Amino acid sequence: MVYRPTFRKQGDGSRCQWENCNPASHAMASDRHRRGADPHNEHRWLPTPSEIRNRISPTHCGGTNLNENDLAVQHLYGVNMNVRYNVPMGTFRSMIISGRGAVVSIWYGVIAPTKYDASPGFTQGHAIYVNERRSSDGAYLVYDPLADGRRAGIPKGPQWWPASLLQRAAEAYPGTNAGCIHASFTKDTEA
Amino acid sequence: MAVKHQQKPAPKTKAPVEEHKKHADEFLAKEEYKQQPEGYRGTDTAKE
Repeated sequence: MVYRPTFRKQGDGSRCQWENCNPASHAMASDRHRRGADPHNEHRWLPTPSEIRNRISPTHCGGTNLNENDLAVQHLYGVNMNVRYNVPMGTFRSMIISGRGAVVSIWYGVIAPTKYDASPGFTQGHAIYVNERRSSDGAYLVYDPLADGRRAGIPKGPQWWPASLLQRAAEAYPGTNAGCIHASFTKDTEA
Repeated sequence: MAVKHQQKPAPKTKAPVEEHKKHADEFLAKEEYKQQPEGYRGTDTAKE
């Protein structure tokens, strides 16, 4: 069975919490990359959104991108993600099946009208962590850092998203070609 | 007299994991997907 990291919510009361989707997703990806193994350095393990945020921007908030988060988790946990842009969906599928997790940039306006909406009213750029694919129906196990069940109607923890929904949300992200996805991949942890 | 037929294996319709791993490794080696495209930007502020 594929290693499943600990779910991290972004709404944890820390600084910039509602802008910490990418740090929270990279915290989960770092856990997967290391299969839960503590690097035993001066940083806290398990990874937290706030530690990654503080590495990226210690004095201000705002959105973050894949490259900024990659540099932060390299420094904090020795995790070297593979950031790739406009990845064809078929290749993304192979990357996941081959044993990698991925942080994916999505446009939340596509998720908003669905049962997976974990932030009513939010319709812009977001980051999620994808851990695995289910072969029976092709769905992806998505760790949306907003899905913390903080009130009724908000999903809690990892959810199986249809592949078509993930694709539509990913290709709607600014600067993305049709049928493609911006993603940052962990190493193959199932080799 | 009934003739017993040997059962044929089901045709393979899915690439084995090794094929996906090969595809993934070849993809990661390509340089053209490493460049941040024009228009790409960071994430936004979610609603509480």
